Amino acid sequence: MPPIVQGFLFVLHPLHFPFLILGVALGIIVGCLPGLTASVGIILLLPFVFYLDVSTAMVMLCGAFCGGIYGGSISAILISTPGTPSAAATVLDGYPLSQKGEAGKAIGVATIASTSGGIISTFCLMFFAPKLARIALQFGPEEYFALTVFGLTVIASVAGRSLTKGLISGFFGLLIATVGIDPVEGYARFSFGIPNLMAGFSLLPVLIGLFAISQIFVQLEMIGKGIKKYDQKIGKVLPSMKELKKLFSIIISCSFLGTFIGIIPGTGGAIASFLAYNEAKRWSKDPDSFGNGNIAGIAAPEAANNGTTGGAMVPLLTLGIPGDVVTAVMLGCLLLIGLRPGPLLFKENPDVVAAIFAGLLLANVLILLLGVLSVRIFPKVLRVPPPMLFSIIFTLCFLGSFSLNNSTYDMFIALVFGIVGYIMQKKGFPLAPVVLGIILGPIAEDALARALIISRGDWSTLIKSPIAVFFYVISTLSVMYSLGRQFAAKKAEREQPSRE
Amino acid sequence: MGKTEITIGVCLMILSIVFYALTYQFPPQTLAFSPKIFPRFVSACLFIISAVMVIQGIRAVRKSSREKNPELTTDWAFLIRLFLGILIGYGYTRLLPLTGYVVATPPFIAGIMLVFNEKRWFKIVATSIITTSMLYILFRIVFRVPLPRFSLF
Repeated sequence: MPPIVQGFLFVLHPLHFPFLILGVALGIIVGCLPGLTASVGIILLLPFVFYLDVSTAMVMLCGAFCGGIYGGSISAILISTPGTPSAAATVLDGYPLSQKGEAGKAIGVATIASTSGGIISTFCLMFFAPKLARIALQFGPEEYFALTVFGLTVIASVAGRSLTKGLISGFFGLLIATVGIDPVEGYARFSFGIPNLMAGFSLLPVLIGLFAISQIFVQLEMIGKGIKKYDQKIGKVLPSMKELKKLFSIIISCSFLGTFIGIIPGTGGAIASFLAYNEAKRWSKDPDSFGNGNIAGIAAPEAANNGTTGGAMVPLLTLGIPGDVVTAVMLGCLLLIGLRPGPLLFKENPDVVAAIFAGLLLANVLILLLGVLSVRIFPKVLRVPPPMLFSIIFTLCFLGSFSLNNSTYDMFIALVFGIVGYIMQKKGFPLAPVVLGIILGPIAEDALARALIISRGDWSTLIKSPIAVFFYVISTLSVMYSLGRQFAAKKAEREQPSRE
Repeated sequence: MGKTEITIGVCLMILSIVFYALTYQFPPQTLAFSPKIFPRFVSACLFIISAVMVIQGIRAVRKSSREKNPELTTDWAFLIRLFLGILIGYGYTRLLPLTGYVVATPPFIAGIMLVFNEKRWFKIVATSIITTSMLYILFRIVFRVPLPRFSLF
């Protein structure tokens, strides 16, 4: 039986399928709540999936990943507040359409486009990932070290506005990763005789603190500022066949565009959706209608941002390199549930890989079903009072941290990283590089150690392999591109006031 | 960029110096790779980038002192809420192992709801009890995740 069929049989099993539904539903709900991103949704699921078998856990996480990216469009359309950064472009035409009383149709189009984007990108993942994994199987420690260096340069890409702050976040993460027993000699570094520190900082409480608890503190600032509500009735949900025919080419091309962008590390859904929006506007016969409620302005970014889900999984699963913030969190989740992403994953766990492929495909089908069926529930979800929502999330964060080792020490670590994450967010330090540093640091150190021990301390071994050199070259290009982008943004900022 | 960046940058520079200095306590190198190589490299890089941020911060402060900036006001109400939120969170981490999940969670949820400005007592009590029960069912029964129990010994 082909592995993919086995994957489908596994996911559709009555004991596993409810977890996929739960993952997609939770992802949609968390994604649509402003202030909670897809990353937070995935992190909140972690304590539960930790106790499931690896394949079921992965299926549930994939569901939450796809659902979270799609969910962001709902609040973007209904209350002009994107639930996730990927849905920012959807606001441009989604909200005007909802103001015209066509919120149902806007959500319907977003749902269809998201499903198409997700399915097309999963097929691309199924096609490209095994091929890339076969190439990556030839990697030795030198190539792995170069690959992790490339992964760490993604820090520069996800750095946000300031490269300096992004790099500081990344090196802070790397420094945190050095706490605990070293991979070569087993010496407990920076533990100061404290037994809990000897094992280093567990990833789960760090992720919960940085992404979820810090977000609760950020939300404390919103008290008294009022929450936007959608009070109109939601009418017709599905677009007509004529409208669908018109949208067909846009949805398909933007799905491929999103997939391609997703494969490039350091890009992500936000860039893909804005690029797709601009392309749809450029191709349109009526570009002036964009921004005033054109359904193509919803279809294009939604197809693209869900297209990045499968695309971003290509480097994540085959090389262990995350593409953006959400996939950085996904990488952490994979490691926590006992999976080491990389070429060996395809060789040693083909059943898990097949379950991931099938899970992603079925998650996107579920998005279509749940999205269309629960359109009228979404305005009610957006009305959940913040005191209730955040007190529940805070409790979940603590219980999740506790569940890892049944230790209140991990709860304390989550709280400390929550405070650190809050300060970082307030002062403009991106959080994703910290996670990348914590995850890739030990992998890089381990690969470097193995390369040097095999070569008896010859450092030139790191640049002898052509594949390693290739990774160093693209790492340099990646940093230069990020620097160029930052300079261009600063230049544009300086020029704007002078034009005004 | 400004005074905060200078403060954070200086703190990180001190942190990286401390980490670098601590590597001298590590055992001497016996293999081709030593446990001190990676921490030293990382702390040296962190020191350099933090120094760059301090310089950028000084330049930004000089530039802003030449321009007139509107006065920033401190939101004391928010800071008190934030402090209380952290304190309640810390209290929960201490109370949980002593009293167990069922006793410690309702007051924690109630406290966080109060910090989030919820004033309706019925809602606070109802949410605390219902959430505690629902999470207990979810963790203990559905996912079989152990939760701390009250124990005298």
